[in-house]
Amino acid sequence: MAMHRKRIPPVLWLGLVPLSFLSLVMLAPLLRIGVEAVTGASGATGAMVADLWREDYLRWRIIWSFVQAGATCIAALVLAVPVAWVLARFRFAGRGLLLRLLMLPFVVPTLVAAMGVLALWGPHGLVSGWFGIHLQDTPWLLLYGNLFFNLCLVVRAGVDALGHVSAARVAAARTLGASPWRVFWRVEWPAIVPWLASALCLVFLYCLSGFGLALVLGGQRYATAEVEIYTLVAHELQLAQAGVLTVCMALLTALVALAYAWIEQHLAIPGRPDAIALRRPASWRQWAAVGGAVLVLGVFCGAPLLAIAVRAVQAGAPAWATVLEDDSLQAVGNTLRFTAAALVLAVVLGVTHALAARRSVWLRAAAFLPFVVSPVAVAFGLLLLYPQWTASLWILVAAYALLAYPFVAQSLGAALDQLPLHLTQAARTLGATPWRLFWRVTLPLVLPSLRRGMAFAAATALGEFAVTLFLSRPEWTTLTTLIYERLGRPGAGNRDAALVLAALLMLLALLAFLLIDNPGRRDGTRTRLVAGAAHA
Amino acid sequence: MLRRTFSLWAASLAASGLLLATGAASAQELRVLVHSSFSLPKPMLAQFEAQSGIKLSIIKGGDAGEMLNKLILTRAQPIADVVFGIDNALMAKARAADVLSPYAGAATQRVAAVPLDGPVVAVDYGYVNLNYDKAWFAKSGLALPQKLDDLAQPAYRDLLVVQNPATSSPGYAFLLATIAGMGEEAAFDWWGRMRANGLKVAKGWSEAYYTEFTRNGGSRPLVVSYASSPAAEVFYSKEKITESPTANLFLKGGVFRQVEGVALVKGGQQSEAAGKFIEFMRSAPVQEALQTTMWMYAAEPRTPRPEVLRHAVEPTAFDNPPAELMAQKGADWVSRWTRVVLK
Repeated sequence: MAMHRKRIPPVLWLGLVPLSFLSLVMLAPLLRIGVEAVTGASGATGAMVADLWREDYLRWRIIWSFVQAGATCIAALVLAVPVAWVLARFRFAGRGLLLRLLMLPFVVPTLVAAMGVLALWGPHGLVSGWFGIHLQDTPWLLLYGNLFFNLCLVVRAGVDALGHVSAARVAAARTLGASPWRVFWRVEWPAIVPWLASALCLVFLYCLSGFGLALVLGGQRYATAEVEIYTLVAHELQLAQAGVLTVCMALLTALVALAYAWIEQHLAIPGRPDAIALRRPASWRQWAAVGGAVLVLGVFCGAPLLAIAVRAVQAGAPAWATVLEDDSLQAVGNTLRFTAAALVLAVVLGVTHALAARRSVWLRAAAFLPFVVSPVAVAFGLLLLYPQWTASLWILVAAYALLAYPFVAQSLGAALDQLPLHLTQAARTLGATPWRLFWRVTLPLVLPSLRRGMAFAAATALGEFAVTLFLSRPEWTTLTTLIYERLGRPGAGNRDAALVLAALLMLLALLAFLLIDNPGRRDGTRTRLVAGAAHA
Repeated sequence: MLRRTFSLWAASLAASGLLLATGAASAQELRVLVHSSFSLPKPMLAQFEAQSGIKLSIIKGGDAGEMLNKLILTRAQPIADVVFGIDNALMAKARAADVLSPYAGAATQRVAAVPLDGPVVAVDYGYVNLNYDKAWFAKSGLALPQKLDDLAQPAYRDLLVVQNPATSSPGYAFLLATIAGMGEEAAFDWWGRMRANGLKVAKGWSEAYYTEFTRNGGSRPLVVSYASSPAAEVFYSKEKITESPTANLFLKGGVFRQVEGVALVKGGQQSEAAGKFIEFMRSAPVQEALQTTMWMYAAEPRTPRPEVLRHAVEPTAFDNPPAELMAQKGADWVSRWTRVVLK
């Protein structure tokens, strides 16, 4: 970190773009709602903080939030590392598709996902039909729900990270007689820790602010602190109490984000562009490893999606006819338009943030702000601050981008840390301008990670996050809102239509992922890059 | 480094301020705030626009309670000119916050099928009550409960799912009915016994109906829903069916009559256009259509009732607390409920 330089390095100025955005759509609204909380009828006081902790119920909410997030992180780590290793080392039919299918849980509306999970594990589910046990109303189902949504994040980060491990180092260790197990712990593990840390940090924050599946599956007894904040703000208008809770949670989670930023900056090892080539599994044990990885992903991520797809197919022709209704077509159009707009904004914000954040731990941690702060507090703050714009499209797109861009920043940031130093140094020595350096060396090297981040950002935008918190208009109906509209009324016809629309949403998302995060092009980039490096 | 980051931040804040100073929205249109269940045929809305020359800008504000809170929060600079969906359970809160203006047009001169006092013009009404899964009860051989108290008995353990009254309108309405039907102390005693008897609490109606109700793969054959739901089950069925798979269970202390309406927003513009919209909501075509789009009964008497609503017989009795009492104690009841059932 260039402490010897007194003036602000030019690249840090790039940080102005994301910081302005964060100030405008997140911090200012938050301050505004804070003012409302303090000046309101029952103003927030220091005594309320003490009360918060003294009251068993709220204390349990806060502790439970952290316990379930921590447990999910541990389970995700244990499951994801072996799976990622197998996916990063072996080539087999359908591997690329599998990597993209992994992200689908992000897209599925929570309620539909819950229906899929219950179709398997519920009291009348498939699994309970076979074994006579069901998991509804047990904490296991909550953990399962959390893993369903978050396992993919850790697996994808692990696959990316292992792809950056230097082949020469691994080969050297092997030549010196190290066992594969020892190679993993001494060479590969240290290289992938920063990547895993950043992904786990996201998972932790996600579970913490979890509105999601866990709540639907577990019922109100398992509500997290975020649900408490949502209830206080949206339904009870107890802004003072909500404000105190928001600030407490934000401070606690900010510590997590800062710790992560510090870890990443200090553990990052510049990599070398000699990726280990994928090989076909050669022995029955290697095939068994591939089979095991596919099985883990199938059980935790695939099965509920498959259940939804099967039920959608079973719904039959009348339900599929709803796809061609005007409402559905309009929703598809809106979904694509909003996702594209949010993605463009998220890429601009994510790239500038990641580039600027290389020099500052604080900026790095700031990329997680959208996950640290309660979305419902931001949504109501926006309403107070810009009442004349609350029902305008740009607020909606900005909200989508706000929750999508940390993926781009996080994924790109990890890749930038691993940039091989000698390549950039060589290019600078040969007289390349910073711009040319970025365009010809840095960008090609980080492109796979950028693509991964973009795919997750698109998944977030396609999914339901925050859409229900903001004001909406009938003409802005997206597939997700249409699904919720259907599930707002009784009747088998509505349920089937919702399942069919969810299947359609998954199909669209898969196409988008293949377009953004194309496996073929990815390998091509690597080859070109190695050739380019040889020229340098 | 911290200082450097914050100087950047300060600069960005200044830039944001400049951006905000420019630009403001201005449109000559009627802004209509509605709850998420609002639904009318598109051609009907288009026809209103063509005939009146008013451009409708419909804004969905979430669940009815959430929508009212958004209105209260922005009362200094209202986000709408007219609001649809404030009901008798929310009326007291809306009045106390002083966010509505009185309206005295033609619609208020006609007597509605159900009364709704205050500045809100009644548009439709319905009932929140228990629904049961007919097939489940037929199969299990268990008799239907005759009174709410039966549900607290061991025979009915783990059978009921309700919505959290803090986050759901039907959940709140059901809580109000239990209090009006049994008296406050007896009602909370019942809720406490229900908790011990395996009561399940879902966040909202959709979660309860689509993940907990036995009709849809859950484990609860009894759910808090609407009197019109069995008719909607027939209307939206896959194949043509002549009998609903669910039915209403009208128990003493378990039926709440909900009356919702449309009102002028205090400080809103376009009051003339807003008045036309209010009249439109009470016009014959809307009154007839809303019965099968929003699944409520029409407030305008003598509105023809669609055939399918014969599956949704109106209850003969209901339990609503007096309006003043709801106004005074509504919020306390919800927090007491949270203490008794969740904490």
